[in-house]
Amino acid sequence: MTQTPAAPGPDDGRVGVTIDGREVRVPKGTLVLDAATELGIHIPIYCAHAKLDPVAVCRMCLVHIEKFPKPQPACATTVAEGMVVTTNNAEVTKLREGVLEFLLVNHPLDCPVCDRGGECDLQDFTFRYGPGTSRFPITEKVHFAKALPLSQHIELDQERCILCWRCVRYYDEITGEKEIVLQQRGVQTLVTTFNGEQLKSNFQGNLPEVCPVGALTHREYRFRARPWELQRAPSVCPECSYGCNINADSRDFEIKRFASRDNPLVDDMWLCDRGRYSFPQWNTSERVRRPQLRPRGGEQRDVTAVEAISAAARELRAVVDQHGSGAVGVLGSALNTNEELWLLGRLARDVIGTPHIDHQLEPFEKLDPAEHALGIADIEECDALVVLGAEPEAEAPVLTLRLFKAERKRGARVHRLDHGADPSRIASAVRGAKTIGVIADETNRAHAARVAAAITGGAVRRLTVTRGVNGRGAKDMGVLPGLAAGYRSAPSGKHGREILEAAASGALRALLILGPNPALETAGDVLQRALARADSVVVIDSRPGVCAGAATVLIPGHAFFEKHGTVTNLEGRVQRIRPALPPATPTPTETRVLSSLAAELGARDWDRGEPSAVNRALRAALAPYAAAGNGGRATWVAEAVA
Amino acid sequence: MIKEIVQGMAFTLKQMLSRPLTVQYPEEQKPVPVRHRGRHILHRYDNGLERCIGCELCAANCPVGCIYVEAAENDPANPVSPGERYAIRYEINLMRCIYCGYCAEACPTEAITLGPQYELADYRREHTVVTKAELLESWPHFAQSRRPPSPRGAGADQTGREEIDPGVSPRLAWDLVDARRQSGQGPHAGDLGIPADVPTVTEPGTTRDNA
Repeated sequence: MTQTPAAPGPDDGRVGVTIDGREVRVPKGTLVLDAATELGIHIPIYCAHAKLDPVAVCRMCLVHIEKFPKPQPACATTVAEGMVVTTNNAEVTKLREGVLEFLLVNHPLDCPVCDRGGECDLQDFTFRYGPGTSRFPITEKVHFAKALPLSQHIELDQERCILCWRCVRYYDEITGEKEIVLQQRGVQTLVTTFNGEQLKSNFQGNLPEVCPVGALTHREYRFRARPWELQRAPSVCPECSYGCNINADSRDFEIKRFASRDNPLVDDMWLCDRGRYSFPQWNTSERVRRPQLRPRGGEQRDVTAVEAISAAARELRAVVDQHGSGAVGVLGSALNTNEELWLLGRLARDVIGTPHIDHQLEPFEKLDPAEHALGIADIEECDALVVLGAEPEAEAPVLTLRLFKAERKRGARVHRLDHGADPSRIASAVRGAKTIGVIADETNRAHAARVAAAITGGAVRRLTVTRGVNGRGAKDMGVLPGLAAGYRSAPSGKHGREILEAAASGALRALLILGPNPALETAGDVLQRALARADSVVVIDSRPGVCAGAATVLIPGHAFFEKHGTVTNLEGRVQRIRPALPPATPTPTETRVLSSLAAELGARDWDRGEPSAVNRALRAALAPYAAAGNGGRATWVAEAVA
Repeated sequence: MIKEIVQGMAFTLKQMLSRPLTVQYPEEQKPVPVRHRGRHILHRYDNGLERCIGCELCAANCPVGCIYVEAAENDPANPVSPGERYAIRYEINLMRCIYCGYCAEACPTEAITLGPQYELADYRREHTVVTKAELLESWPHFAQSRRPPSPRGAGADQTGREEIDPGVSPRLAWDLVDARRQSGQGPHAGDLGIPADVPTVTEPGTTRDNA
């Protein structure tokens, strides 16, 4: 093969390199590894990781570079103009075989019982680049502890470790917690925790994904499935409003794990343990199974979904006829998709005609478009960050990692302050910073606005951490009293707690509840009184709970991982969810139920309510959602919201 | 022409006087070849631990997807198999199985082999899905009842994967096991460290005959 250096191009901040005879122009400072990836040339790596700084300890990525006296690690060598790299000659092949042979000297080869078997880099590279045989079969392997629990989530197998340092660097560079260390020297080196303590981090679940082999594994996933059996559904973590992208991996109609799905704009491939290990709740058999009619004072009976929808329409119409449309309260949930909430809002306002609709208990004044101006990825661009209270990071834990990244990469100052902190004091603390981010949770929106107003001399952007996976979407879709979809003003109505109180006192006669709504169940006594007092309680819910138990008409819903739809995260990013499991009930999805209910109540121009059709309709009606598409941000401008 | 007739009649006469190949099945049964691929057997080590580690490579290698395995973690104090992992459920759909033996080929611990049993018909489809308790070599009685001295010498293969005693018909051997099971002498799930929630063997002479 003839190898000529790439011709020098114009000085556009890019340099030309030749890898395996092919030329590519990449930005200055690019690593040889990334330049090769751009050409589709695979270089095996263990210690290198896209999100971690290079250390070049594993020597797996050694390549031949012309004019260098020795082979160079591709993961730590930056490209230079005219560089000629070879990754496929006999020298490199021999180096790779040698490294793999050494790595396997003490590797236990218990692949059949290893959870990583099937998605293990050591396995894959040994097959692809390995020598096939070993020259060291005579000596007994060095043995370390196996199946060592490091915490309730993580199991360590010290024998399988190939000493790539990724876990240690993950703690150093991503979380800043420094919980894992390497001890001893040479062949006796072993990975362990500092002082043998248990891991305490909230982000341990990322360790098994960072580990290139099966040394660190999930205890929750231990021996549950082999990777090739898993059905993968790209979806969104339902635990908080941050909207981390996940793959819901299931086997035999059971979700076995949540794996991260790298979205650099949202999660940056890291998940928190609360989200990652929340999957067992979606495998529960405690479900609303059958549509039921439970008339007050009558006998409960199972019916078909069609009958249940007709009965619900009859009951709601009776209440509207007798007491007026204002006697109906409608409650959505932050766990519903945008499509369901959009239909619910239209059903309540256009078909039933009630202004009393909400998805949470607390009142919501009006949206200030500035409060979602700071995107998640923009946090890295800030010189100073103000976090009001512990709630934002408690609600959305992965936010902590993004703040640490801003601190580490940009040297940003992160000020974690009380809710009550004096705005002028905060302003003086961040003086000098050019770009400032102010992060608060929903209850401190007003204070965050005061803080942002007090800061002068820098560009201030705010981020409000909403509650519930689709708390932001519920507001955008107008499941709020007094604000219709797109924050258009609507006749004022009662907010969540007022709806319950009014129902408990008899002012509201019917409740239409689209669940599951964990927030609603924190209302306590008033919820039960409201449900008991109302003449008609129509509940569409997937989980048996207080609401489902008190329904006069109960229609089963589909759980989060059983349906198609979109959810909107705290920065307004509209992301698709996809079913990982088949529906637990053969009844129609919520969007179909709501459409049918609207049709029964006399709506004429509604379609069948397929999620995709509803999504098209809501994008046609809401310009920010049309602009966001799938994966973009829906941003509201001040004029539209006013 | 005459020569040919004589030749033909001589052959016929010879066949008339020779012993017939036909056997009075099922009363009489021919021994199966040593490498016959009949119903699967899950083997044990001599100390009674199961060889199967629940790695599911048999299921991965199965061209028809008739094997279903669910793994679990061993209790170190009371292990089911050596090491960390064992199969808590192991099921084979014999209707779907093509008896190719790829499962045995894939097995890293030689836990599964195809055995001599070929009488697999049943009145009910669900009975043709055999569970782990049915597939597993019973222990310790199994070794004595089904394992006559190896023609290849003592200790040639303690697991019986190679030798079949030509004197004992497979059916008789299985009847022995069944009789022992019914009389309550045989091993039952509790003895073997199999958790109680694993489906147990369908007892011959009960549900099957009623079907």
